Amino acid sequence: MRTKTFKLAALVTSAALLLGGCAAPAADPAATDPATDSAAKGEIVIWHMEGVPNRVAAFDALAAEYNATNPDFTVRFETQQWDEIYPKIAGTAQAGNQPDILFAIPDFATYVRSLGLGQPVTDVVEGIDASQGLLDASKVAYQDGGEYWAVPLYGMVQLLWYNKVMFETAGLEAPKTYSELLATAKALTKDGVSGIALPAGKNLATDQVLYSLMITGGAANFFDESEGIALDSPETVKAFSLYNDLLEYSPKDSANYAWGEPQAALNSGAAAMAIEKGQYLTPWAAESGLDPSQLGCAPIPVADNGGQSGSIYYSNGAMVLAEDDDRRAGAGAFLTWLMQPDNYGDFLNAEPGLFLPVTTGGADLEQWRQNEVLSQYPECVDLLLKQSETGALFGFVDGQYVEKIGLISGQNIFAQAIQQMYVNGMPPAEASIWAQEQMKAAIE
Amino acid sequence: MTTFSTKRTSHIGNLIVWTKKLPNFVSQLVVTIVVFAPIYWIVMSSFKGPEEIIRSEPTFWPETWTFGNFERLFTSTKYLVFLGNSLFLSISTAVVTVLISLGAAYGLYRIRVPGSGRIAGVILLAYMIPGTLLIVPLHQTLSGLGLIDSLTALLLLNVAFTAPFSTWLLRGFILSIPSDLDDAAAIDGAGPVRTMFEIVLPLLRPGMATVAVYSFVFSWTEFVFASQFVSRQELQTLPIGLSAIIGQYNVDWGLVLAGVVFTMLPAVFVFLLVGRFFIGGLIAGATK
Repeated sequence: MRTKTFKLAALVTSAALLLGGCAAPAADPAATDPATDSAAKGEIVIWHMEGVPNRVAAFDALAAEYNATNPDFTVRFETQQWDEIYPKIAGTAQAGNQPDILFAIPDFATYVRSLGLGQPVTDVVEGIDASQGLLDASKVAYQDGGEYWAVPLYGMVQLLWYNKVMFETAGLEAPKTYSELLATAKALTKDGVSGIALPAGKNLATDQVLYSLMITGGAANFFDESEGIALDSPETVKAFSLYNDLLEYSPKDSANYAWGEPQAALNSGAAAMAIEKGQYLTPWAAESGLDPSQLGCAPIPVADNGGQSGSIYYSNGAMVLAEDDDRRAGAGAFLTWLMQPDNYGDFLNAEPGLFLPVTTGGADLEQWRQNEVLSQYPECVDLLLKQSETGALFGFVDGQYVEKIGLISGQNIFAQAIQQMYVNGMPPAEASIWAQEQMKAAIE
Repeated sequence: MTTFSTKRTSHIGNLIVWTKKLPNFVSQLVVTIVVFAPIYWIVMSSFKGPEEIIRSEPTFWPETWTFGNFERLFTSTKYLVFLGNSLFLSISTAVVTVLISLGAAYGLYRIRVPGSGRIAGVILLAYMIPGTLLIVPLHQTLSGLGLIDSLTALLLLNVAFTAPFSTWLLRGFILSIPSDLDDAAAIDGAGPVRTMFEIVLPLLRPGMATVAVYSFVFSWTEFVFASQFVSRQELQTLPIGLSAIIGQYNVDWGLVLAGVVFTMLPAVFVFLLVGRFFIGGLIAGATK
């Protein structure tokens, strides 16, 4: 019996080795296409952190389309993980084998630059700006020392999402102010339903929702003129306090929530509201079983006194890390091609609603507007675009460029402060000072 | 009267036996539920539609069975590529680890090469270094060797981390085989190599199976190195591929659940095949 088992194991092992051996050297079809290889000088490798299958498929399709135009350099996308990219890019910087193009967000871009990577792309940005018109908000966060360090590709902004059926049943309207938001969350918390689902885990999702409330509370800029951190302002404390109060009406396991859980709570009817970006559009109908018209969207509520409309907003950009002049030119050629109206709509449709246009004409691109998801939510799409106009990102408010912001955002200090309040019962005023000290320590 | 008394005594005896067994039974039942409940949940949910998966009042059995999640797993992701890479890497790691650790353990604990005590200490010390601390220097080394973005790099790294522990694991098995057997073989004219292959190795099969399963599972679940040193999707392993499905900003729960089911299956199959050796081997290695 044992002999038979061993023989079977050996057989399976051999088969798997054979199977694995056959599978392992599988080559990228884009890299071996003879039609493109014959003309190309080389290959531009692009790293992005959009690993969701539909985004990967859309990017790969665009690469194949571009490569079919017989460019000087063909392109190939490679998927990375946000959780792993910080040490990975540091390792590649040391070894000198970085990719030619790296997708980034403004705070991550400062970290990449601190590693000695990144080339100015001012000529590419200005070229795209001249032909397509780039939104100021999308490019300003990548400008430093008179140069642009990334080409803006797509924007992201948050809204307040809500279940219209629950609101209508309770006779409520979308809240416009901090106090209305809290009162609405309280009123809707009953019969096992939470008024709102908020993330409170140590992650970027929590950072971003808190920061949206800080913006609408008048605390968008928490750096003083000498880039010192001042998080103990009354506006910041008020935003911290609101978040802490709202968590009372959020599901009990919110301390473990990141991106997916609040969305699942809203779509399942376990929560009535959530604050997030436009990725809420695509799965709403399938997951909630409700009509698209029953997904409500509203601007982020503002502070009762002195509040201002807004939300966290940032453009995802492409940094050019290639140091060779030819490769830099090849990278610029691809990014310019990508932003052309014929291609840009397909690019934005990689994640409808989450990827927002950063060009002035992008909002009217038929390819994008007629997307089967977006066309069902025209009002919310318009609101996402409108909210983008007043959005901001910490470290880049009103033309700021805080070089060390990457060290702060990488540690999720805002989220840690939320956990201090939610898990350890720290008062909001103390939590804001605690976060301030943590941020100071991070950049010193 | 006698029969009644005997029956009564028998019933009381059974009752005492059952009472003694009850805590064992209850604790085993609890452990089984704790272990299998999440697996049951994952498997059942993978057959549910998107609305039913996230429903706030969960269903224990799918209301409507669907294979849509699995269909999407195979059509919208490169699951089969990830699976092929993981199988290749895990089996290769298991085979190479068994060969290397067997040779090392035999030399250190059977032949007792000069300085074997210190060498054994150094080997175990290597096992204790956290892999994440080595990412940057490893990047430079692998880059210099031209091994970045290759399964060979992952194989080398996996073996580097499984071989030290496996060598130590085999110590107990080797020490449990009486050295008199070597002497007897020598008297019969067998040299050291023949003694190793024909006398000792057959007795080490449980130990080898233990090492094989351990290194297979290590490689099957390894994430850090696979994410750091491989970038091409065609070379990614299952943990990396699955992690990408979860993604930033949103989660496709159905796809994730289907992916988890098909990631568990091969490992469960391997464990069913040689699991008894693994458990028996761990116990034997720990006590001898």
